[in-house]
Amino acid sequence: MIENPHLRARQLFAQSLVEGLISADETWLYAHLRMCEACSRDAASTRELLSALRTVPVAVPRNLTARTQMRVRLRAQQAAQASDSNLALWIISAASWLLGVFSAPLVWRGLAWVGTRLNLPKPVLELGFVLWWAIPALIAVTAVIHQKAIGSGFAARSFSSGSKPPVGGL
Amino acid sequence: MTDDTQSLADGLRRRDPDLLDRLIEQYQQRLYRYLLFLTGNPALAEDLFQETWIRVLERGHQYNAKSKFESWLFAIARNLVIDVSRRKKIASLEELGDSESNQPFDPPDEQTVSPLQLLISRENEQTVQLSLLKIPAYYREVLLLRFHEELSLEQIAAVLATPISTVKSRLYRGLTVLKSALPEGDA
Repeated sequence: MIENPHLRARQLFAQSLVEGLISADETWLYAHLRMCEACSRDAASTRELLSALRTVPVAVPRNLTARTQMRVRLRAQQAAQASDSNLALWIISAASWLLGVFSAPLVWRGLAWVGTRLNLPKPVLELGFVLWWAIPALIAVTAVIHQKAIGSGFAARSFSSGSKPPVGGL
Repeated sequence: MTDDTQSLADGLRRRDPDLLDRLIEQYQQRLYRYLLFLTGNPALAEDLFQETWIRVLERGHQYNAKSKFESWLFAIARNLVIDVSRRKKIASLEELGDSESNQPFDPPDEQTVSPLQLLISRENEQTVQLSLLKIPAYYREVLLLRFHEELSLEQIAAVLATPISTVKSRLYRGLTVLKSALPEGDA
C-alpha cells in the first residue's frame, strides 16, 4: 500500500488507463480526484493528452492504397502462374520418370544391340544408359532455373512501375 | 474463433485478391499511421506499407484465425521495420526517423469545426505529434497501439512478441515519458 495519497492517485489513474481498476480502487481514486485539485489537474492533462493522441490526423498518401492493391494483385497473379507451371513441371517429371522406369529394359536392350553392331565398349553403353536417365532431369532443372529468372525479372519490373523500390531502396 | 476470422484465414490461404483489396482499404489508415509513428519517416512508412501487404499475401497461410487479424498485421509490419533497421545497421528502432521527417504530418482538411477550434486542436495535435517523435520508439509504439489503435494488452503482447508484463511497464513508463516530453504548460 502506498502511503502518499497523491502518488497513489497518480499511479491508480495510470493503471485505470492501462489495465483498468477494481471498483474499490476506482471509488477511492475518484473521491481523491474530487478533493485534490493538483491530482485532478494532472489527471485532466493526461486525459487531454490521450485525447489529442487519439485524434492525431494522419493522411494516407494519395494513391498509396491503389498502388498497393495493384502490386499485391500483380504478385498474386505471378504466384498463381508460378504455381500452375510448377504443377505442370511435376506432372511432366512424374510421367518422364514412369516412362524411364518402364522403358529401361527396352533402352538397355536397344543400346546393347547398337553396341554389338558398332563394337562399342561396355562403359560407353553404360554412359549412354546414364545419359538416357539424366538428360530429362537436366532439362527439368534448366526449365526451373529459367522460370525463376523470368519471375525475378517480372518482380523487378513490377517494383519499378511503382513509386520506389520497397525496402532495398532505403 | 469466429466465422469471420475463419473465413478471413481461408481467404488469405487462397490468396483471394478481392479479399486483399478489401483488407488494404480497411486497414490503410491504421497501418500507415502505425508505420509512420514507428519510423517517423513518411517515405519509409509508404514503402513498408506496400511491403507489409506483399508479406500478407505471401504468408497468408500462416494466419491461423486464433488471433485478431490486426495483431497479426501489425506484427508483420513491425518485423519489417526491424528488418529495415537491421539492414541499415541501426542500433535501435529509435534511429529510424530522420531529422527532416520529424515535422508534423499533413493533417487532412476538416470542415465540421470552427477555424478557431481547428487552430487550437491542430496546435495541440502537432504538439503531441512532435512529443511522440521525441520519445523512444518502443514507448511510442505501445502508446499508439493502446490508445490510438485501442488494442488490448494481450493483442499488443502478440504484436510485440513480449510478455504482457513488459507491455504494461512500457505503457506506464511511456505515459510518463510522453508527459515529460511535452513543452512546459502542455503537460
